[in-house]
Amino acid sequence: MSRSPDDDARRDGDDTRRVDDPVGSQSATSTDGGRTASEPTRDPRLVEQLDHIHRIRRRRTIAGASLVAVIGFVFVQGLSATGFLDEEFQWEFFNESLRNYFPMRELPPFLDVGVYVSYIRSENLLYDPEIGGLLFRWPPQLYTFFFEELGIFAIFGEAGITLAMGVVGTILGFPLALLFGVLGSERVTPFPFNFLFRGTMSFIRSIPALVWTLIFIPLAGLGPAAATLAIAVDTIGNLGRLFVDELEEIADGPIEAMETTGASGSQTVVFGMLTQVRSSFIAWTLYILEINVRIAVTVGVYGAGGLGQVVEVQQGLLRWANVMATLLCIFLLIITVELFSQRLRARLRADEVMGWRELIFGFPRRMAESVTK
Amino acid sequence: MSGVVVDGLTKRYGSVTALEDVSFEVPAGEFAIILGVSGSGKSTLLRCLAGLTDPTAGEVVIDGEPVVGPRPEVAMIFQQHNIIGDLSAYGNALTGGMSRSGFFESVLGLQNEEEKYRALDALDTVGLLEESEQKARRMSGGQQQRVGIARALVQRPAVLLADEPVASLDPGSSQTVMRYLRTAANERELTAFISLHQVNIARKFGERFIGLQGGRKVFDGYREELTVDAVDDIYGDIDTEGMFLDGGRPAETEVAR
Repeated sequence: MSRSPDDDARRDGDDTRRVDDPVGSQSATSTDGGRTASEPTRDPRLVEQLDHIHRIRRRRTIAGASLVAVIGFVFVQGLSATGFLDEEFQWEFFNESLRNYFPMRELPPFLDVGVYVSYIRSENLLYDPEIGGLLFRWPPQLYTFFFEELGIFAIFGEAGITLAMGVVGTILGFPLALLFGVLGSERVTPFPFNFLFRGTMSFIRSIPALVWTLIFIPLAGLGPAAATLAIAVDTIGNLGRLFVDELEEIADGPIEAMETTGASGSQTVVFGMLTQVRSSFIAWTLYILEINVRIAVTVGVYGAGGLGQVVEVQQGLLRWANVMATLLCIFLLIITVELFSQRLRARLRADEVMGWRELIFGFPRRMAESVTK
Repeated sequence: MSGVVVDGLTKRYGSVTALEDVSFEVPAGEFAIILGVSGSGKSTLLRCLAGLTDPTAGEVVIDGEPVVGPRPEVAMIFQQHNIIGDLSAYGNALTGGMSRSGFFESVLGLQNEEEKYRALDALDTVGLLEESEQKARRMSGGQQQRVGIARALVQRPAVLLADEPVASLDPGSSQTVMRYLRTAANERELTAFISLHQVNIARKFGERFIGLQGGRKVFDGYREELTVDAVDDIYGDIDTEGMFLDGGRPAETEVAR
C-alpha cells in the first residue's frame, strides 16, 4: 500500500476520479463534465486487487528464497557428514584407473573393441554356443532345446542367468504381492488389521534384497537360487505396496454395484475392485520386473551368479577391460528389458490393441516411420 | 412381487438432513417415479432402499423384511452406470447373477447354461444382443446404461431401483432407456423405483409419483393427481410450463383441463 498514494498523486492532474476513491478524494474530485480522460481512470477496487496480488507475490518470493536457503544449509551439513568437505580427491589416480577400462590399439590409436568382443565370446556372457547350436543347426533340435536343456534362458549365457533371476523372482513374488496388496487395502481389511499386512510389507522393504540373499544362503547356498528367492521376497514388499496405493484410488461405484447384486465379499473384490486396476497392476508388475533384473545384477556382484558375479571376479583379477566388457553386456540386457517392458506397457495403455501379426511384421515400417518423423 | 413400505425414513449426514421422516407404501408391481430437484434426497432414498446407506431413523421393509444391507432380490441401476469397463457387455450382464454362483464359477466364467442364456436374454431385452461381446468401456453412454439394466435384470430382482438412469443421456437415449426399463418392469412384474428430474419423461412413463423437496415428501399420488400445481410444489417456483408441453401425449391432454 505504501507506493499507491505517490502513484495516484502523480497521475492525478486533470484525471476524472470516482468520488469514493479513498486516496484521490481530497486531491482531485473535479470531473470535467463527463469528458473522458486521456489517461485511464483506475478503479480503486482494481488498484486494491493488484496491490494484493503484488503483496502475495512478494511473500511467495521470500518464501521461495528461504526454502532454497534451507535446502542449501541442509546440503552443506550433509556434505560434511558424508566426508566431502575434508576429502582429498585423487583425480590423477582416478583418471589413470579409468584408462584401464578402455584398451587402446597401438596404430591407429583407437579403442580396441575386439578385446571386449573376444572376452564376451570366450566367457559366453551373451550367448552360449553349445545351447544355441541346438537351435541353429539343420535340422534344429527343438525338442532337446526346449524340453531337455530348458534352454530359453541358458542360450543367453551369463546374461540369461541374470535375466532368469529377475523373471522368476517376479513370477514367484507376484501372487503373494497381490494377496498382501489386496489384504493391505483398507477397503478389504478393516482399519487396524490391514496394517498387519502393510507392516509385513514395510518390514520386507526395510531389508535390502542383498541382505535377503544373505538370509537365504543357508537354505540354497550362495548362488542364483538364493538370489531368486531374495528377489521374490523383495517383490512382495515393493509390488505389494504399489498395489495397495493403486487400490486406494479406485472408484466406489463398481464396488457398490457388485454389492447390490448380492455378490460375496471375494466376488466383490475381484469384480468390483481388481477389474478397475487390472491394466495398472500389469504395468506395475512390468516396472518391478525391470527393477528386479537390475537387482539381479547387484546381488550377482555378491557372488550369486550371472553378469554381476563376472564383474566382481574380473574386478578382483584387476582385468579392467573385462569388467568394462561385462558392464556393456549389463547395459545391453537392462536396456532390452526396459524397452520390452515399456513397449508392452504402452500397448496395454493404448485403447486400440494391435494384433500380434501387426506387432511383429509391422515393426520395420513403424521403426522407419518413427525415424523419419 | 414384493411390496415396499417406507416408514419414517430419516437420514442425516452430520448437520445436513438428506431425508426427513419420509413414509409411503408402494404395492407390488407398481412403476413408481421419484421426482425432485438435485439435492432433494432422491439418491439417498434409493440408496436406503438398496441397503447401501443405513438410515438414521425409520426403516424400509421390502416383502415383509426390513432392509439392513444389499439383497439379491433388490437390484440397483446407477446414474454413472457403474458397470465394469474391462468386461464385455455379456460379462457385465453375467455379474448380475453372482449371488447364485460360487467364487471360482464366477471368476472363471463357468456358470451353468441357464445363467448364460439369462444374460443373453437380458441383453436382448435392452436391445444389445448384437453388441454383447463388445467391451463395455468402448460403448456409448446410452449403451452402457442399458448394460447396467441388463445386469440388474439378470439378478432376477423383485424390486428394481434406478438412480437418475437418464440424467447423463441425450433426450433420444433417455426415452430409449426409459422404454426398456418400463418394458422390463412390465414383463417381469417388478416393483420399480426410478428417480428422475425431467418431468416430461416422468409423466410419459410413470404410474405412481413420489415428490421430494428438501428431504421431505411433498407429493404422493398417481398420474391424474400430478397436476401443474403439484409439480410446482415439488420444484418450487419455477417455470414448469415447458415441461408439460413437450411431454408425452397423454400428459398434455390431462394438463389441458
